[in-house]
Amino acid sequence: MSVGADPASAAREALVAAIGRVAAGERAALEQVYRATSAKLFAICLRILDDSREAEDALQDVYVDLWKSAGRYDARRASPISWLACMARNRAVDRLRAGGKVRAGAVPEEAAHHLADTGPAADDLIETEQRNARIHACIDELETRQREAVRSAFIGGATYREVAQAQGVPLGTMKSWIRRALARLRNCIEGA
Amino acid sequence: MTQSDPLPEYDLLAGEFVLGLLEGDDLLRVRGLLARDPDFAERVLQWEERLAPLVADAPAREPPAAIWPRIEAAIAPSRDPEDGAGAELVTLRRRLARWRLTAGFSAALAASLALLLVAGPLWRQASDAPPPRESPLLAASIPIADTPLRLALTYVPERDQLSVSAAGLASDGVHDHELWVVDGEGGLHSLGVVAPGEEARFAVDPALAPALHEGARLVLTREPLGGHSEGEEAGPVVAEGHFTAI
Repeated sequence: MSVGADPASAAREALVAAIGRVAAGERAALEQVYRATSAKLFAICLRILDDSREAEDALQDVYVDLWKSAGRYDARRASPISWLACMARNRAVDRLRAGGKVRAGAVPEEAAHHLADTGPAADDLIETEQRNARIHACIDELETRQREAVRSAFIGGATYREVAQAQGVPLGTMKSWIRRALARLRNCIEGA
Repeated sequence: MTQSDPLPEYDLLAGEFVLGLLEGDDLLRVRGLLARDPDFAERVLQWEERLAPLVADAPAREPPAAIWPRIEAAIAPSRDPEDGAGAELVTLRRRLARWRLTAGFSAALAASLALLLVAGPLWRQASDAPPPRESPLLAASIPIADTPLRLALTYVPERDQLSVSAAGLASDGVHDHELWVVDGEGGLHSLGVVAPGEEARFAVDPALAPALHEGARLVLTREPLGGHSEGEEAGPVVAEGHFTAI
């Protein structure tokens, strides 16, 4: 973990510290985390659920969950925003599945771009812009069908069975596509 | 990082888990790995780091102002000066509030949980042995009659925590499903009402922990909305299974 004086790492460190205080039961710290991250996490919930009311409920789930599970966060192992982003993704997908609205087909690439960016500049929380760009570049390098499968699982909430069905291939075929996609992604992202 | 990985499959399994592709027995196995294998948990975090940008690139969007007060209400009160029975009641009430708000459940479920929590002290009196330390993780995958669905349960003894995944289980609007553990005498102890389609974590009353062991029988019953009423017989059994140590 690099420690620097730039605003991004200062924001990250403040966030890590606040999550630590949430774990200790400090409610004011939860509010601090909420102020710093809710616009980002709400965007994730909206992107996955495509429904304001559902996204609001999912967002609430995320912070109530965080209140209970902040102790599980380990700053040495995960960046706070990725950890929170995945929590938001998981809660939103839980709701998507509960509502029977899994999107096993192609998930629109720019699904969230029709939304006005009314939030504060939360981009300073994404301290690894270059890394994110790299991840997107790596995703783009996948074959179309692999990329669609990865996106419909992670964003659309589809399971192996559902992705295989949507793409009209046997389960075993889908599993090998995804595993190859994951291996390629890992190598690409880690700069192999 | 994982270049000289001797077990590439293992790392890909972590990736499949983070993508949310797994279900049924595969998901149970992975949850087991996650709970007990720090190396696997580390790989899950690495995959979260790799995949998070896929969802985190949406432009930030300020949520409505009403959300924070709802969260604040859900986590309050964080502290109560009373102790003993008063504090216990506050804890129960708080748990109830969290439940309701966490999962956006109905008032009916809240009421059934109130019953469940009120029933808690009775189990405490009935039990003697404390839960054994370092118990194995328990899992059950319960097929639901006449459907391809399975109810996935994982119990982490050290945390007295039971996670229940009822993905795909739909509500018919007039019934709820209640989960029970069957004790040695055939008595039923409610573990809670299972919310359709949700993944939930149940805090298990420590007094009930001794009943949760390998081979322990679990049944799912169909109940009126909100779960069975106190003093009533449990409803018809729609599914059953056993805990397996994993």
